[in-house]
Amino acid sequence: MIQIQNVSKSFKGNVAIHNLNLAVHKGEILGLLGANGAGKSTTINMLLGFLDPDSGTVSINDIDTINNSADVRKLIGYIPENVNLYPYLSGLENLDYFCKLAGLKYSKSELENYLITCGLEVKSHSKKVNGYSKGMRQKVGIAIAYAKKAMVYLLDEPASGLDPLASNELSILLKKLASEGATILMASHDIFRVREVCDRIGILKNGILVKELNTKDVSANELEILYLKFMQN
Amino acid sequence: MNNMIQIIKNEWRFLIRSHIFLGISIAFFLILLLSVFLGNFQTNKQEQTYQNAKDHVRQQWVSIDEMNPHSAAHYGTYIFKPSNLMSSLDEGVSSITGNVIRVEGHVQNEIVHSEASQMQTVSRFGKLKPSLLLQYIVPLLLVFLAFNSVSNEKLSGRLKLLVLQGSKPIQIMLSKTMSVWLYGVMLLTFVLLVYGILNMHSLTTDILIRTGFFFLSYCLYYFIICGLTVFFSSRWHNPTLALTSMLGVWIIWTMFMPNILMSSAEKWHSLPSRNEFQLAMKEDRSKGLDGHNPRDKRSIALKEKVLKEYGVDSLSQLPINFDGMRMQADEDYGNSVWDKHFGTNREILQKQKQSYQLGGIVNPFISLQNTSMGFMANDNLHHQEFLLQVENYRRDFIKMLNDKQTFGGSKTGDWGWKIDNAFFKSVPDFNYKPTQVFEVISYYMLDVIVLFLWSILVIALIVFGTKKIQIV
Repeated sequence: MIQIQNVSKSFKGNVAIHNLNLAVHKGEILGLLGANGAGKSTTINMLLGFLDPDSGTVSINDIDTINNSADVRKLIGYIPENVNLYPYLSGLENLDYFCKLAGLKYSKSELENYLITCGLEVKSHSKKVNGYSKGMRQKVGIAIAYAKKAMVYLLDEPASGLDPLASNELSILLKKLASEGATILMASHDIFRVREVCDRIGILKNGILVKELNTKDVSANELEILYLKFMQN
Repeated sequence: MNNMIQIIKNEWRFLIRSHIFLGISIAFFLILLLSVFLGNFQTNKQEQTYQNAKDHVRQQWVSIDEMNPHSAAHYGTYIFKPSNLMSSLDEGVSSITGNVIRVEGHVQNEIVHSEASQMQTVSRFGKLKPSLLLQYIVPLLLVFLAFNSVSNEKLSGRLKLLVLQGSKPIQIMLSKTMSVWLYGVMLLTFVLLVYGILNMHSLTTDILIRTGFFFLSYCLYYFIICGLTVFFSSRWHNPTLALTSMLGVWIIWTMFMPNILMSSAEKWHSLPSRNEFQLAMKEDRSKGLDGHNPRDKRSIALKEKVLKEYGVDSLSQLPINFDGMRMQADEDYGNSVWDKHFGTNREILQKQKQSYQLGGIVNPFISLQNTSMGFMANDNLHHQEFLLQVENYRRDFIKMLNDKQTFGGSKTGDWGWKIDNAFFKSVPDFNYKPTQVFEVISYYMLDVIVLFLWSILVIALIVFGTKKIQIV
């Protein structure tokens, strides 16, 4: 589970996160909505252990990310907006390489199964990644996290720039992962995708969590109105 | 360790799959192959020319039918500097130091006819030897391969992914360094393998040890270049800036600093000009005995001493030829003058060399050049050793002739007295004994240590760069 308690972070005097409290439970998908510069990526980078908070605590499965970043990273799968894989390798080779870096040795068929599970068509497995669409690269990125047996998935604008079909496939995949027990935090601008995929939604504005709500309690239109209201105020 | 191996393997996969890289590599291997072949061909040709000239001159000497020994000392002979097998890798200063020296009585001649002085203007810029490529071009290639190795990972966001998969930044940077370094080592190994195959029958333990140190020096230098480039690549966000920084370092190290440091060393420990040197020698020589002037004061003193020793009143009563003795006394004095002046020059050269060696502290390229030509036996140390052996030979050679004049059975003033061919045949030929490798090792240990220290410094920079690296 993800636990963020009273976390603040500033960069050269500019507040990026202010007193943030957030928890994402096992099997839950939390969507973080916010404009550019709202603090979504900073939050993710603190969870990844790449940034230390100025105050407060950040933990994953009760492991402090500041002092135990190496241990925490073993639990995390991270999918950025653009999954930049090695273009001269195929999807299968990229997956194999990143698995080996994590100390995992899989057979070819096991690797293929991971790619298939994450929605990458078999005919694309052996093609070089420089010919892949953004969605295909994202599937390989998720396969890397999945093969690593990540317990926590952190996604930074995953649906940005995806065509509707790819975006829908991503939603299905994330729900599947959550149903298998993964804890997922997804930062996004896309209100409708977040509404569709997530169990809970947090709205960040200027580093402050201004609203937290259950998806069930709000329709897509209501969420849009609410979001715009917060952004305009 | 597993991660480092994986990263290195992946870097090599990139290189192998890059058509541009493969094209450049094939071209490079061919150029290196050509340079080794040409180097070998030139060395063999030089060796053949040397052998022919040596045999010809020796033949002239042993063919002397009858001649007065002192006339033979004036007739003299020529000594040719032998080329060595390792010249095909690095000819060092050999092409500019001259390779023929005339050996005769009364005078120590300078070595003349450097290869460079007889070349066309364009050729004077340096022959295509493997050392030229290994010292100047291969490091450039390594810089081009490494300049964006970390910055690319940062810009693409893969660095984050690599760290998340469990790789430590230090492992990533060291692996990037090693992967490019291994390419340099591969080129170096290729050169040495081809060289070894071409000269398989002539390889001796001495050559193998020297080549081993040659290999070690280049390996260390390539590591320094690769590590520094990777460090810049991790420090600067812009890969172009990393490339520019390293090209700047390369230009300063290879173009400017060697000249600046050599000029400084020459200024700190300056040799007299040729004119000053010759004047000083002439002046000192004039204070000695003139072997061809019986009325010379010192000649008269020597004559009195010899007459007393033999208990006779006149030169005609001596059982020996006093002319030969006087000639040798002249020679001995000339030798002491030469020892004094050349000894000073050798000391100055030694100091210049030591100062230049210390330049390696700010420029490892200097240490590389020193070890490269030193271990390949084509540096000034070997040249000076050759000159010393020639001078020692000259002294023995002239003494043998003067002794023959003195004790061979002739009388003083009997300049028409001649000895037969058997004597000339008995005069030994010059036989150059190359400097032992262990002496060379002790001489160049400082350069090897400096290269090691630079490698440690580069590792320290990489560790420092790792701490400062911005993953997000």
